Formats: sequence, C-alpha cells, structure tokens
Amino acid sequence: MFSLESLFCCLELLIFSIIAGLLGSLTGLGGGTVLVPILTLFLGIPIAYAAGASLISTIATSSGAASAYIRDKITNVRIGMGLNMGTTTGSILGSLTAAYIYSHNLAWVIYVIFGIVILLSIIPTVQRGKYEIPDPRPPDWTTRVFKLYGSYYDKALKSEVRYWGVRWWLGLLIMFFAGFISGLLGIGAGALKVLGMDWAMNLPMKVSTTTSNFIIGVTAATGSSLYWYFGYIQPLMASITAVGVLIGAMSGTRILVRITNKQVRWIFLAILAYLGMASLLRGLYYGHVISIPIITQYLLSVLFMGVLMSTLYYIYGIKMRTVNNTVRGGRNG
Amino acid sequence: MVDWDYVIGLTLRYSVIISVTLIIIGLVLFHVKNEALGCSSALLLSPTSPINTSMIPPNTALTRLPSLDPLSFILLGLMTLIAAQVLRVALGVASFVMERDWLYVLLTSIVFLNLMLAIFILPSILHLHVNELALRVLCPSGSLTT
Repeated sequence: MFSLESLFCCLELLIFSIIAGLLGSLTGLGGGTVLVPILTLFLGIPIAYAAGASLISTIATSSGAASAYIRDKITNVRIGMGLNMGTTTGSILGSLTAAYIYSHNLAWVIYVIFGIVILLSIIPTVQRGKYEIPDPRPPDWTTRVFKLYGSYYDKALKSEVRYWGVRWWLGLLIMFFAGFISGLLGIGAGALKVLGMDWAMNLPMKVSTTTSNFIIGVTAATGSSLYWYFGYIQPLMASITAVGVLIGAMSGTRILVRITNKQVRWIFLAILAYLGMASLLRGLYYGHVISIPIITQYLLSVLFMGVLMSTLYYIYGIKMRTVNNTVRGGRNG
Repeated sequence: MVDWDYVIGLTLRYSVIISVTLIIIGLVLFHVKNEALGCSSALLLSPTSPINTSMIPPNTALTRLPSLDPLSFILLGLMTLIAAQVLRVALGVASFVMERDWLYVLLTSIVFLNLMLAIFILPSILHLHVNELALRVLCPSGSLTT
C-alpha cells in the first residue's frame, strides 16, 4: 500500500487538474493553458513533464467533448479535417522546436512564451461572446473550392442557421501557427484556433468553438506522439492529470449552462492575469534576465493582476453598463 | 447510408471510456502493488521522476499486461487516446472516399500522413530509441532482463 505522503501527492495532482479543467472549460481556453503554469509554479513539476501531461489531457477532453458536439451536428467535420492539415504540420514543427529548446537547457524561453500567450489570451476572453452569428461576407473562391458551406440548428435562436466560410488560406495559416504553439507549449491553443475560424474565416461562434475542439484532439495526438519519444510524458503524472482535467472540463460545461453572469468572468480573467505574469517573471528569472526573489515574483504578479483588473473593469465594466447592447458586434466590425 | 459523423463521435466516446477505465485500473493496481515495472512508487511519484516514456518500450509494457503491471495498463490507456485520434482521421479519409470528394481525400490523407510522421517515421529518422537500459539501471528489481 501507498504511504500517506504519496497518496497525498496523487490527490494534490488530481485536485489541481480538476481546477485547471474547470477553469479551462469556463474560460474556453482548454485545460492545458491553465494546467501547465499551475503544475510548474505550484507543484514544482518540470515544465517539459507539465507540457506532456497537458497534451495528453487535451486529447482526453477533446475526445470527451467531441462526441456530444458531433451529435448536435454543429461541428463542421469537413472544415475541421481540412484545417487539421495546417495544425498537424505546425504541431510537428512545434514539438521539434520544443525538443531543441529543452535539450539546450533553454526551458526558461518556454516559461516566457507561455506567460505572453496567457496574457495575450486575456484579450479575446474579454471580448468573447459578443455576437453569435457574424455579418455575412460574400463567398470567395475558397468557399466554392473547399466547400465551406454548412448549417446547424440553433437551439437558442430556434432556427436553422446557414453559414459559409471565406479565406480558407488565411484560416489555414493561423491554424499552422496554432499547431506550432500547441506543439511548443503542450497546450490545445484553442484561443488561436477560434481566432482562425471566427475572425479569418467568418464562421459562426458555435461552429468555430465546436470545430476547434475537434481539431485540437488530432493536433494534440500528433504532438504527444513526438513528446512520447522525447520522454516528456511521465505516465503516472499524465494519467492522473488527464482524469482530473476530464472531470473538471465535464463539470465545467454543466456549470457553464447555469452561469451567464458576466461578473464571474472577471474572476477567470484575474486568474489568467496572475498565471501569465507569474510564468513570465519565472521565465525571466530562470533565464537570468531578472533576479527578483520568487516570493517577490508572486507579489508582483498579484499587483499586476490588481492593476490590470481595475483597468479592464474601468474600461469594459463601466462602459458596458452604460452602452450596454449597442456594443454588439461593434468592435470587430 | 452510413452516418460517418455519428460513427466518429461514437469512436471517440468509447475510446475515452476505455482509456479512462484502463488508467483507473492501472492507478488502483499501483495503489495495491506500490511498484510498477520494478520501479518503486517513490521513484515514480516524484515530480522530477526520471521514469518517462523515453525509457519504457511500448512492447515491454504491453507484454506485462497479463502480470497486472500498473504501468502497462496506464500506458495502454494513454496509447488508446492517441490511437483513437488516428482512427478518427482514417475514418475521415474513408468517408470522403465514399463521397468521392477527392480534394478532401487528399487533405485528410495529408493529416493522416502527418500523424504517421509523428508516430513512426520521424522517431526512426531522428534515431529516437527507447532507452531500456536506463530503466534496468534505475529499476533493477523489474524482470525486464528476461
């Protein structure tokens, strides 16, 4: 039987993974983005192992959610498969780059990139969910050649929504980059994938998010196969986190239906701001760029979180209350 | 006519159920046995554990399934997750062949090729061999030498 200490160790890992899965699904960023900094900053797990565990968890959550989405017929399998060409190629290059970085003792670079990616992902999270159906753009040649048409039944709007995608090449390019980030950092890079489909290809939000989930699974499988050979997957750790993130993500989707309260989103943004800053500072510290003690790094991250949140709250929170519904679709124009 | 989306959805659902079941069996076995592949639990549970996938040959792990080795179950669970994604892409190729949509047969085949690159081709080109010797040194009580 286990010693009490090792049992505690497993439980700790499981609980942190459940929290990461919950946060990931509630912010729409996926478990990995939150999981990797939590595992490295709080549990002292090497970032390569955290990234490996995160990729495995990403496949698990993607597969778990996919069957439900595909049944709803919102996922566009054709668009997903086509874009997967870009993500899997990117993922191979990203994984090889990660292997180069780790084997040359440059792990601090990964921390820094991670911090930047998290901080940047605050932007789409703030703007998220403003509109459901984009203003239609005229179909272009890619719409015809790559058959980017589709339709789904929208339960909220109670009507059949017909849509079509444009600029497939731009979508593919962003997907390649998303795949690269996925392989490099060991995350799903869901935010980037939604950017590719929502912004570049002008697909409805529901189609983007569900199709993105579909794409993420195949991308993560590609990355984790290479991670497997490089030895970034610690089987016990990866399996516990996969189960934890899966539990968290599954309960997250249930909670999401009930909470539409905008105030709750501020808590997630605060956590992202904190983790992003802490990861960035830790990376700079390991790279000998700065020499701030770790405790001060935590304090600085909290300070940053406070300042950012009050600024965001001032800009969006107060403005949105006065302008309220007129913001709809305005910013992305 | 076959509803391919439905088949793919079911494949993924069952793969997750099978994988999680295997992982949980592995974790329970680990809890009971307190060792896996001859490695002590302390060695396996350390956050900076040296035991990782680059040391465990998949074949060795799978041949130890009958002897109820915890890590064998866990690794099979993890492989199931990856294999299901490969199967999904293969089913995708098949569905586009049935539809005679040759452009998408090509695009999906490239995805499949990329997966094969990552799983089989690149590791052999890059000579990423499994370091079984390290496992034997670190976990001498395992009967891997046989």
